[in-house]
Amino acid sequence: MPGGDFHPWFFVIVAAWILVCGLGVVLFKRIMYSAVSMVFCFLGVAFAYALLNAPLVAIIQILVYVGAISIVIIFAIMLTEVQSGKMSLFFNRQSAAAAVVALVGAAVLAIVALSSDIGHIGSESLTPGLRQLSRLIFDRYVFPFELVSLVLVAAMIGAIVLATREKERP
Amino acid sequence: MQYVVALIPLLPLLGFIVTLVFGKRWGSKAHILPVGLVTVSAALSIYAFVWAFTHQEETFVWNAFTWIAAGRFTVPWGFQVDALTGIMLLVVGVIGMLVHYYSIGYMHGDEGYYRFFAYLNLFMFAMFMLILADSYLLLFLGWEGVGLCSYLLISFWFRKKSASQAGKKAFIVNRVGDFGFTLAMFAIFVATGTLQFTGVFDAAAKGDIASGTMTWICLLLFTGAIGKSAQFPLHVWLPDAMEGPTPVSALIHAATMVNAGVYMVARSYPLFIQSHTAMNVVMIIGIFTAIFAAYIAITQNDIKKVIAYSTISSLGFMFVALGAGAWVAGIFYLFAHGFFKGLLFLCSGSVIHAMGGEQDMRKMGGLRKKIPITFWTMLIGALSMVGMIPFAGFWAKDEIIGATFVKGQYVVWAVAMITVLLTAIYMGRLIFLTFWGENRADAEVQAHIHESPPIMTVPLILLSIPALLLGLVVGIPPDGGWIHGFLEPVFFGIESEAFQWAGEGGLLMLASLVTVIVGLLIAYSLYVRQTDLPGRIAQRLPWAYRASLNKFYMDDIYAVVPVGATLGFASWLWTFVDAKIIDGAANGIAWLWGWAGDHLRPIQTGRVQNYAMYVFGGMVVLVVVLAWVWGS
Amino acid sequence: MNALYWWLLLSFLLFCIGAFGVLARRNVILVVMSLEIMLNAVNIALVATANFRGGARGAGTLFALFVIVVAAAEVTVGLAIVIANYRNKSTVQTDTYDELKG
Repeated sequence: MPGGDFHPWFFVIVAAWILVCGLGVVLFKRIMYSAVSMVFCFLGVAFAYALLNAPLVAIIQILVYVGAISIVIIFAIMLTEVQSGKMSLFFNRQSAAAAVVALVGAAVLAIVALSSDIGHIGSESLTPGLRQLSRLIFDRYVFPFELVSLVLVAAMIGAIVLATREKERP
Repeated sequence: MQYVVALIPLLPLLGFIVTLVFGKRWGSKAHILPVGLVTVSAALSIYAFVWAFTHQEETFVWNAFTWIAAGRFTVPWGFQVDALTGIMLLVVGVIGMLVHYYSIGYMHGDEGYYRFFAYLNLFMFAMFMLILADSYLLLFLGWEGVGLCSYLLISFWFRKKSASQAGKKAFIVNRVGDFGFTLAMFAIFVATGTLQFTGVFDAAAKGDIASGTMTWICLLLFTGAIGKSAQFPLHVWLPDAMEGPTPVSALIHAATMVNAGVYMVARSYPLFIQSHTAMNVVMIIGIFTAIFAAYIAITQNDIKKVIAYSTISSLGFMFVALGAGAWVAGIFYLFAHGFFKGLLFLCSGSVIHAMGGEQDMRKMGGLRKKIPITFWTMLIGALSMVGMIPFAGFWAKDEIIGATFVKGQYVVWAVAMITVLLTAIYMGRLIFLTFWGENRADAEVQAHIHESPPIMTVPLILLSIPALLLGLVVGIPPDGGWIHGFLEPVFFGIESEAFQWAGEGGLLMLASLVTVIVGLLIAYSLYVRQTDLPGRIAQRLPWAYRASLNKFYMDDIYAVVPVGATLGFASWLWTFVDAKIIDGAANGIAWLWGWAGDHLRPIQTGRVQNYAMYVFGGMVVLVVVLAWVWGS
Repeated sequence: MNALYWWLLLSFLLFCIGAFGVLARRNVILVVMSLEIMLNAVNIALVATANFRGGARGAGTLFALFVIVVAAAEVTVGLAIVIANYRNKSTVQTDTYDELKG
């Protein structure tokens, strides 16, 4: 099988894990369950990266997504109300149409993807190694790299500004 | 010579522009420039006439510049002077100049003083261009120009509703005739490829124009003349045109503009002689108009209206002459008529001035002792008009009447004789009612009756001289006088027999003279002796009286048929088409947008998830469509 | 069937699951979570393609890294907005956020 070891069984397990957890995110009524599903989904994606010969991305995925984003989301959940009750509280009025559209979209994308010619796939993996990747970051794409750090700073400042309570004036 | 010919119309044009722009601040001195320029033009016209006189058989032609160049259709701005032009220039120039001087006195103190002279100058420009033109299109330019000026001048006192309506009427009725003229020009161009006189007449002489086409061309040209020269049925504008100031009536409706139709037909002589049908039509309409107008003139009470109808009648006579083939006689009558009709109008203006603005003859009377100069000059004009020997009108009119008899048109001759009788009756009535008997005006008016100032009476005297002597000078012997020799080159190919004083010609002359005297005697007895007789006649023949008094109800017919129908149609277009359909469409479109907006607004729910749905759904659709398009 | 096809299929499926979550759930924090799912799906596609077909000298993987970083920033700011909004309205139901209606 091309692309190094494809390991079809590993692929199936990882894929199933990811999909089930994804469904869990969108379908659970209790939002905490959804959050936990999301965490496991991220883990699964990290495994997928590992399968795809991209260990750096896998590690960073775990560090950022599982370690930071999930925490933030859980904080946010805790700071806001918890709902319980009828189903209509959880799915809005267009959810039926949304389901249809999503299914159709998936089908369409699948058909389109499968009927197009991706081209020749060689037997070795083409993911860049760490050395190559770092060369890319600090040589060729240093400018976007700096911009992204700027984005992070802006996000931090924005979040702080948005989240502080207004001081009560005496 | 070129400069003379170019300056004759150019000076009044300049006068018009400058006076219109600066005249207001010149106040009561606004007449100086326009009158001065017209005097120079008149002098130049006399010079041109002398040139034509000394260069008989020659025609001066000069192309100033190319006016229209549109592929096959080119028209130069060209001037042409021959004997016919010379005579017209003399009439227009001299009478135009005299009227300008007369107006200084008549229009004194009017608030539109400068405007009046500006318009008069514009009129002179247009009239000169009309006579000097060397092509039908340039003639038409002058033609339309005088039409415009008649509108401007008839409705000069525009605040008076009847005056502005009279101006409109003149222009619109003229326009009907102009339509015929335009069609004639189209036909001429299609048939000959040019509109210049030399080109058209050469083609006609070579026989290039089919006879059916020629008849149509002539009839259409004559339609234009019917409008401009107030023949039946387009005569209705001329009596109403008396709403304008009297100098306007004298200049435009007696001496110059109405002659344009006669001039144009005379100029188109090479075309008309090829169509007997057209000439017969001209003659018949002419004689019918002559007697028609004379019959109406008998009962009119406004002094200017009587003279207006007499103008219509005289024009009819001119067309009779042209239609019967007596071309020179027609132009001779035009020549004389310009003077004595202009004189009559200016005299009537003097009478009105003396009577403090009163125009109704029933309120006049006994003026011959009080305004003698006006009386004598008016008498000369009247006697010339009716055709009393030895005045100019006699020689000219008699030549026409004699020609109809000699050419075998006995019916026309008989009708003409009746018309002469009627003419004598109504002109006699005018003179006797105005100048004889006891004055019937209020005491207030009577106290103020006075002779007009010299600036008005001098033109009267000057005009009465040709009215008296012209015939004797240029028209004797009939058919062999100086004027006949002068105009012969223009109307080539006409043979005229020698006039027999003691034979047929002399008898005819005697017959018309007797008719005139009889008419004058009838008028005398009706209006001086037994003044109650006219009233009793009217009672015995009420329908005859009312037909005459109401102008055969022509104005009423016109008010319903063309005018009423048009106004009704316009009104319907307004209330239905404009208000309902067009406004409905405009309002409807506005309403449509509002309705659409109201119904589209719910799409904007304010909820982002709805919008996201549209985005995602749209993306799916787009992918499907593109895959289909690119895949197939 | 190439391996890449399978990975892409997984990516598309996950993407549409995430889309459903964005469109159909009422809790705004859950919407944000679904959005993260979608971003992950895209990342899988990127890395898979970079692995099997190579990118511009391996820039595909780098791109995926950038996506992760920006996603983190976006979640931060987004949740800050949600919290601020919650303070005013005391609700996280998306249906009630309709001030721009009409």
